[in-house]
Amino acid sequence: MKSRFLKPFTLSLALAVVATACAASASTPSPTSSASSTLSGSVLISGSSTIEPITALNAEKFNRDNPNVSIAVEGPGTGDGFKKFCAGETDISDASRRIKAAEAEACAAAGVSYVELEIAVDGISVLTGLDNDISCLAFKDLYALLGSESTGFTSWSDADDLAAELGSVVAPYPDVPLTITAPGEESGTYDTFISLALSPVAKARDTDKDARPDYVASPNDNVIIQGLSSTPTSLGWVGYAFYVANQNKVKALEIDGGEGCVFPSINTIQAGTYPLARSLYLYVNTAKAAEKPEVAAYVDFYLSPEGLRSVSEAAYIPLDSYDETVAAWNER
Amino acid sequence: MVASTPTTTEVVAQALAGKRLNVASLVFRATLLVSLLTSLLILITLLVSITAGAVPTLRERGLDFITSPLSLDPSSAGVWSGILGSAGIAALVAIIAFPLGIGTAVYLEEYASRGRLTNLLRTNIRNLASVPSIVYGLLGLAIFVRLVNLIGLAGTGSGRNILAAGGTMAVLVLPIVIITTSEALRAVPQTIREAGLGVGATKWEVIRHQVLPSAAPGILTGAVLAIARAFGETAPLLVIGVATGFFAAAADATFIDRVTGSYTALPVVILSWSKQTDVRFADTLAPAAIVVLLVLLLTANATAIIIRNRFDRNQQ
Repeated sequence: MKSRFLKPFTLSLALAVVATACAASASTPSPTSSASSTLSGSVLISGSSTIEPITALNAEKFNRDNPNVSIAVEGPGTGDGFKKFCAGETDISDASRRIKAAEAEACAAAGVSYVELEIAVDGISVLTGLDNDISCLAFKDLYALLGSESTGFTSWSDADDLAAELGSVVAPYPDVPLTITAPGEESGTYDTFISLALSPVAKARDTDKDARPDYVASPNDNVIIQGLSSTPTSLGWVGYAFYVANQNKVKALEIDGGEGCVFPSINTIQAGTYPLARSLYLYVNTAKAAEKPEVAAYVDFYLSPEGLRSVSEAAYIPLDSYDETVAAWNER
Repeated sequence: MVASTPTTTEVVAQALAGKRLNVASLVFRATLLVSLLTSLLILITLLVSITAGAVPTLRERGLDFITSPLSLDPSSAGVWSGILGSAGIAALVAIIAFPLGIGTAVYLEEYASRGRLTNLLRTNIRNLASVPSIVYGLLGLAIFVRLVNLIGLAGTGSGRNILAAGGTMAVLVLPIVIITTSEALRAVPQTIREAGLGVGATKWEVIRHQVLPSAAPGILTGAVLAIARAFGETAPLLVIGVATGFFAAAADATFIDRVTGSYTALPVVILSWSKQTDVRFADTLAPAAIVVLLVLLLTANATAIIIRNRFDRNQQ
């Protein structure tokens, strides 16, 4: 009687204990560990999901040479990343925009000092379906179709009056359904799009600078691409890397920021002629970098030729020159 | 049906209804069949599309896909880190939630006097089982992350570790364990208890030797359901700071380092792969990881069924 009842329970408990032990002690196989490094410890990185692929790729490369450093990268969004960074919970923060004044104050209040390193450029790509005839939109058009005054427009032609009032050269638009899929408010890509494209027009008209609230928002860029490719007359925006990876599914529009239509490409984004180009940053906690050699070593690796190659490997656009970035890091 | 010899039921039914067709009954039956087929269709579509994406990866990589660590290179990325994290969480859930949950249920069913207070408790526990998991995530952040900090097991990630995750998941599944155990205990015939007490056994002996063994199959089923829930849950982990991107534990890390350091879990790996720029992650690797997760869950459920059946046989 005794064993009959207790056996399965003790058995499952024993299994559970063994499982924890295994989970904790089984060593992760590292395929090409040269194991020359003596560094140990940990590097914790949070922040923008846009830069996560570059930082994660470098984390993987760095871990190969330094197998005894534990390293974790996450990408909840630039804003969430700064919250943790300024609380001293992370060593490095990825940011798809500059730190905001309020965030800088939070950092200062917590005694977190940091160095800002520009590591790549990105061009926010405004996308539509492959079969859309429209090929170029100006900031005015983006405001007419996506700005706060466009709330409720379900067809491109609904925006005709507003666009005409703004002096658009593209309008009148075709009378086809307008389905919008784009990043949500938590995203740095959203912030940048608003501040670059919508806010100048909104400021001139003294209206709310935010985008219309009635669109499908997703934190997952692949979901946005899926939404955009499912209807030919869709509209939305993502980072350049996601456009490049999905060129067979969606079409990028040229953008007119006041100096003619410019198509997003490596050249136009790197030169800054593409109106929706933005810089991507790495914020490093200087105290942590001084105190934890593995953090400094990771940033050193990031700024080495091998580390910077990850920028293009992750389908982002490298800077013209990294002299200033390296100088900023060396002066920390 | 006409060709074969009609059964008595059919003959009687026909005689009673005359030659008329029973339309209502036919419609009812058809509706039921359609509901069944619809739910089956959804399930099959899901399974087929996932398996179709997963098969190439699993065939090509085989065991290598299971045992490889995370990577940004789709041709060498694997789910091992995720499996380890999830197994650790499940183990902690078993250690924390089972004794607590089963103990609570035994007290509520066998010892507590039935009154307004116990009814209130019972209703509350039922409600807790339907609280959205994200709420438990916030609770875990407020309690367990702080707790591991307080007792000095915060590790390198300031408390965002597997201990906090295991604690949070244990609380999340606790209501499930309590409810299923309560139901299993209630299903034990009262006569068994009376017989035991009648021959002079103490209450403890009756519970220990009669009630718990009879209820064990039900309790085990609940336990496995709870583990499966903890294995598949994602939202609370995101709140309490699971590593959602790349993650690698140090090769020379000790047991303590690993339990107190950063971690990742299988469903979180699936989530992060679905967000990668490289479409191969979303199209082929994520489905393969889903299949691995499904197989693990099915194995857990199958184990429960086998244990339960063996138990039932022993009992008789």
